[in-house]
Amino acid sequence: MARPLLGWAIFAVAMLLLPQFVSNGTLRIIIFANFLAIFAMSWDFISGKTGYISFGHPFLIGIGAYTSAILSYRFGMPVSLSIPLAVLATMVGGTLFFLPALRIKGTYFALVTLAFMELMYQLVQVIRPDLTGGTRGISGIKTILSGAAPNFYLSFGLMFAIGLALWLLSRTRLGTALDAISMNEEAVSGSGLNTTRLKLFAFMVSALVAGLGGAFYVHYLGSIAPRALFDINFVFTIIVSVLIGGSATIIGPIMGAFFMTFLLEYLRPLLPGSERYLVYGMIALVLYVYQPKGIMQILKNLSLRTRGPQTGRSGNV
Amino acid sequence: MSSLLVLDKVVKRFGGIVATNGLSFHVDRGESLALIGPNGAGKTTIFSLIMGEHRQNSGTIKLNGEEISHLPTHKRIQKGVARTYQVPRPFSEMDVAGNIRVGMMPDNLWKMITQSADPDAELTIARSVGFRDEDLLRKPSELSMGDLRKLELARTLAAKPEIMLLDEVFAGLTVGEIEQISDLLAQKRKEGLTYIIVSHDLRALEPLVDRAVAMTFGRAIAEGSFIEVMDDEAVRSAYLGQ
Repeated sequence: MARPLLGWAIFAVAMLLLPQFVSNGTLRIIIFANFLAIFAMSWDFISGKTGYISFGHPFLIGIGAYTSAILSYRFGMPVSLSIPLAVLATMVGGTLFFLPALRIKGTYFALVTLAFMELMYQLVQVIRPDLTGGTRGISGIKTILSGAAPNFYLSFGLMFAIGLALWLLSRTRLGTALDAISMNEEAVSGSGLNTTRLKLFAFMVSALVAGLGGAFYVHYLGSIAPRALFDINFVFTIIVSVLIGGSATIIGPIMGAFFMTFLLEYLRPLLPGSERYLVYGMIALVLYVYQPKGIMQILKNLSLRTRGPQTGRSGNV
Repeated sequence: MSSLLVLDKVVKRFGGIVATNGLSFHVDRGESLALIGPNGAGKTTIFSLIMGEHRQNSGTIKLNGEEISHLPTHKRIQKGVARTYQVPRPFSEMDVAGNIRVGMMPDNLWKMITQSADPDAELTIARSVGFRDEDLLRKPSELSMGDLRKLELARTLAAKPEIMLLDEVFAGLTVGEIEQISDLLAQKRKEGLTYIIVSHDLRALEPLVDRAVAMTFGRAIAEGSFIEVMDDEAVRSAYLGQ
């Protein structure tokens, strides 16, 4: 327990010192990485852990983002109130999201969640465009802070707090039970556990994180548009971040999100067009085939090789 | 002696097939019962009905005098009944200790978060089914069929059942492994565990049970001591197809 916590502390100190050493442009990239990491962790807590693959996470992120944007922009509500309300709304949305999981699994569940996202995309354009801004979205939304460094600290603080909380939660027996659901759900209920309640809890936590991330993100960007948010590429970026980093580990998705964000940024000057996505897809694929458990596992194997096998008998990561 | 588990006129149909046809039997506390019959007789279906994995069309299932037919599986386990499966179904990415840990968990989110696992209790359960201490860190993929059966037993025992339903615990095992599991069950029986056991290995079954129920086509055709049931004319013809 002590050593991984030290790892978190070193990560925090290194990141907090970062603005002293890197340019504002790089900081802006890291801000995106922080938000992507939040979304990836949200996805990981439900899909990575329980095996219920969501293709519709932008539905949850969108509820958070739109609720806070509308409340603050249209109704002049302070951000300190609109964000908590947005998170609450997302958790209600998470409950809706959860309902199909009571009856269906696997690919079917993934497809239904994809439908949720598409539905949301259509709805925000049609229903009350005076509120949502329709196809054009809303711009001029209040930002919480200005400048690269303050926004970096804010987004990192949020990402770090969420990451640490989810990681600690994953290490409890509850985390073990969620992992077990992904391996064999019947055997979990065959151990006397109410899997419905466990899954609902995981969905609510995932929604809470998605809502927080979505709301803070919209107040960082200052604008929101449906096509940018409810986009299959956005879903894939989230999922690939998790898979590349190592699913069901919480730390993995953070690494994956940073890897993906920087990969895309460094490819940008070389390949300005959409062929960038081809290269990034290939790199992700090669990495995934090489080690399906992601960067996390590659690092773990490296540390095993240098330090020799660990002793002790904890079943957890 | 009070009956721990009572099935009364239980009927289960899958479409046009009647898997359980008005079956009734009971198991007393501390008793061990063999459920025998040819393939397709409906033995595993009975287990699924008792556990609530399938629901019967009619009839009652009582545990400790209480009707449990309306309860979901996890509630039935909390009431004191648990089963093993013909094909062991471990949590493949977890080591032996982790598998037992899931079996021991309380069904309470708050306790799951605030109370940590109890490695000593995990070790005790693992040892009680014959694992060595170093086995706790092994993954299911590294285990032999016999060890997987032991793991299945350990995970089921971890839920502290009053009655266990053992489905084909000897299938796919070597002679040595059969002996091991057999000794283990004999030990558990001595300690007062109640169980129903299904197996095709009748020779291994005989010393492990107080009583037997023979069934075919979803109904009981004989009941009594193991020897009596095996000598029964109807049972012989059901098995040999005469």
